[in-house]
Amino acid sequence: MIHTLLVINNLLFLYYLGVNLIYLLLLIVAIYSSARHQQLLASIRLDRMKESPFAPPISLLVPAHNEEATIVESVRSFLALDYPALEVIVVNDGSEDATLANLVREFHLLLTDLVYVPVVPSKPVRGVYMSQSEPRMLVVDKEAGGSKADATNAAFNAASSPYVLVLDADNILEEDALIRVMVPILSDPERVIAAGGIVRAVNGSEVERGRLQKVHLPRKAVEIVQVVEYLRAFLVGREGWGFFNMLMIISGAFGVFRSDLVRAVGGYRRDAIGEDFDLVTRLHRYMLDHGRDYRISYVPDPVCWTEVPGDWTTLARQRARWQKGMLNTLWPNRDMLFRPRYGRIGAIALPNLWLYELLAPVIELIGLASIVTAALLGVLSYAFFVKFLLFGFFFATMISIGAVMLEEITYRRYNDWREVAKLILTCFLEHCPYRQMHLYWRLQGLWQYMRGDLAWGKMKRVGFQPAAARK
Amino acid sequence: MDSVSNSVRWLGPARFILEAITLSLAGIALLLLFIVVRRAMRQAHFRRREKRTLEIRRDWESILDGGILPEEWRFDPLSREIIETILLDRLEVAAEDEAEVIRHCLRISGLLDMRSFEARSLRGWRRRQALVSLGRMRVPEAIPALAEGLDDIHDETRIAAARGLGRCGLPEAAEPILERVTQKQLRLPLPVLQNALLHCCRARPSLLHYYVRHCDDSLRPTLARVLAEVATAELGEDLVLLASDPLPEVRASAARALAGAKPRLALSALQQLAADEQWFVRLRAVVALGILNDTRAIPVLLQTLCDPNRFVRLRSASALARMDGHLEEIIELAIRARDRYGLQSLVSELQRSGAMMDLLEALQHREKRDSAAKVLLGALRAGAHRFLLDALVHHQSWRVRIQVARLLARSGEKQLLQPLKLLEAAASRAREKCILQWLAARLEEAAAPGPEAADALQP
Repeated sequence: MIHTLLVINNLLFLYYLGVNLIYLLLLIVAIYSSARHQQLLASIRLDRMKESPFAPPISLLVPAHNEEATIVESVRSFLALDYPALEVIVVNDGSEDATLANLVREFHLLLTDLVYVPVVPSKPVRGVYMSQSEPRMLVVDKEAGGSKADATNAAFNAASSPYVLVLDADNILEEDALIRVMVPILSDPERVIAAGGIVRAVNGSEVERGRLQKVHLPRKAVEIVQVVEYLRAFLVGREGWGFFNMLMIISGAFGVFRSDLVRAVGGYRRDAIGEDFDLVTRLHRYMLDHGRDYRISYVPDPVCWTEVPGDWTTLARQRARWQKGMLNTLWPNRDMLFRPRYGRIGAIALPNLWLYELLAPVIELIGLASIVTAALLGVLSYAFFVKFLLFGFFFATMISIGAVMLEEITYRRYNDWREVAKLILTCFLEHCPYRQMHLYWRLQGLWQYMRGDLAWGKMKRVGFQPAAARK
Repeated sequence: MDSVSNSVRWLGPARFILEAITLSLAGIALLLLFIVVRRAMRQAHFRRREKRTLEIRRDWESILDGGILPEEWRFDPLSREIIETILLDRLEVAAEDEAEVIRHCLRISGLLDMRSFEARSLRGWRRRQALVSLGRMRVPEAIPALAEGLDDIHDETRIAAARGLGRCGLPEAAEPILERVTQKQLRLPLPVLQNALLHCCRARPSLLHYYVRHCDDSLRPTLARVLAEVATAELGEDLVLLASDPLPEVRASAARALAGAKPRLALSALQQLAADEQWFVRLRAVVALGILNDTRAIPVLLQTLCDPNRFVRLRSASALARMDGHLEEIIELAIRARDRYGLQSLVSELQRSGAMMDLLEALQHREKRDSAAKVLLGALRAGAHRFLLDALVHHQSWRVRIQVARLLARSGEKQLLQPLKLLEAAASRAREKCILQWLAARLEEAAAPGPEAADALQP
């Protein structure tokens, strides 16, 4: 028994060491990769790219379910984006609130008889609306499909561009975000099949008529901690994995894909919970099955601002859902693991997700149980245990501060000294007690999935904050 | 089990945990120090830069005309950077006479020579930066140094050189690119190559045309695509010849070029291309016919409206929807063609293009009302039920709603009765209900058998 505990504890230590070393490697790679990207941007003039007749058209797909608080401002900001050939397709996914009514009123929509060909499956479409004031906009009204994937598929069917960009309706894109996210595609259109930008928390920032006026750090702790998480996930995680061409997730809130390939893989899986992750995994599978050379890129400078949960209950629901989504994608694709055909995706990226993302809460729980058992049996070295905790805490904090540093040397959205100080302070608090709460939510997610509870759960939104409200 | 346990213990993670903690703490301290020091340094740098920029702006005229000797600022990196930035930014938007003054300044100040030297002698990102700046100077003297950049071993430097040449915007700058790509000495990402050639060949498209005709088949479609953007009417006969090229991609680009350049024989060449065996050539031809907007193309567009390819049908519909003043005839002919898909595309496109909206607006004006009503009735017969019913209850103008009601009553379409009942049930306002009831009564009268019903249909 004691031997077993010893082995478990040592394995756990190696596990934590492994995850931290991976993050350290990703941080180093991300610093290098960000610097290279900055140099690349220095040799590109984006205004030239915007004027180019060779810039391919993009359809913005905006699934919206009960988004009455933000939909109008979001759509306005999408229409104001700086890109030469753009269409915006909003899907009202059976909203029970005034989402459609707000759109009809603000954009003077009329029901039309436009051709709608269901190339990829979705719930029945009730009608296609076009705007009397904005010819680049279409609204597809459909029955509730119960998932974002279903709504995105309906939008995809109405799209007519060679590239589609999927956005959440509660998002705000920076004006030049589209041209920036297209940089890798325009530089290598043969190989780059998808690209994703960075998603940041808009909470606390000033928004006027769908445009971000001034960036501020949110005020609530629950929101600031998510800012740090997003910085680490995007600036370190995505940048690092993207460098090795092993990017497995392009955020559902902001990702551009080649339409023909999305069509080839059958669009989004309608019952997928983490539809963004699922689509990218299937794209990897498709390209590797067909032996094609390809790249899925991450671009750190196009920014999509999203409203993150502003209370603990909503955050818990969201994180449980993300965990369910991960299991919901990894399990059907388990046959990709360690098969030579799937190269580095099957050998490194997917095992990493299984071990360090999906099973992490279970492993951490086992760790806790073994430590408690060891303490009960009187074989726990308290000195080692404390050191172990301290190591975990400081190492993880260092990675988070590394993400803040990366933000500082590259994009610097938070200019105020006090805001940076708050961010750094949050890096210390993030690993205790937030991390433990996060562990619980993720376990909840796994448990719900096992029980067959695949519901999304209600997400509470408060809408964007105008300048006056902040003052 | 023992051996596993021993081996793990032998790894001795516990042995170096203290060192790991110390290293992590040191890492945190270093990162924090870096953030603080960098912030402070940047603040100081920007303050200095701002002050220097103000001084430079104050003396700007003297710097520009050489009153302040370049030797006084050229050796100070900060001043040089600021002056070069201002000069190049102004050059982007300057009129020709001001641009000449700026270029003169770049020459006499030595900035041009310095960047040429850097573009030749430096490596890596510094070379790329020099190439980009050199390109932005838009002077022919920069071309040799930029051309040398095309032979660099690194992809990124070659791309920067191509972008620099593109920024020059001079026909001479296209030649080194074209020579190298045609001799397979240079490979560039397609958009980079196309954009560079686009900017350089705008002033002399014949240069590009020469290469389209004489280079090998792997490159011709790419060059033809650029030619399509820069072609002018002077290339008239040559473009018509390209329309019969053996490569379909080149024919498709020829169609695009014909639409842009509009030479004398464009229409007949495009009509021929609209019957091409490749769908994307037909598609390009149809789009080009839409741009020409010539009523003589209506018969061909009506044929392509029944094309087996969906995109060709949609584009034909789009081209037809632009033919203002002929919509009634077009709808009539499209109904007669009895192609459901084509008709549906046309109705869709009339709505998508906003033509139906315009027709609804026209209903408000007495002088335009009759012709608009005829087209709308045609569209209704072609299947635009939902659109008109929606306009009946949601259009901003009550006058339009009433006109639409009259129009629907005139149509005598019985299948409108069912959705009308639903709309009536959902209507909240008395006026809306009244219109809907009136319309339903008219349609019921029309649906009733007998000679009175036929009379009721008369306007």
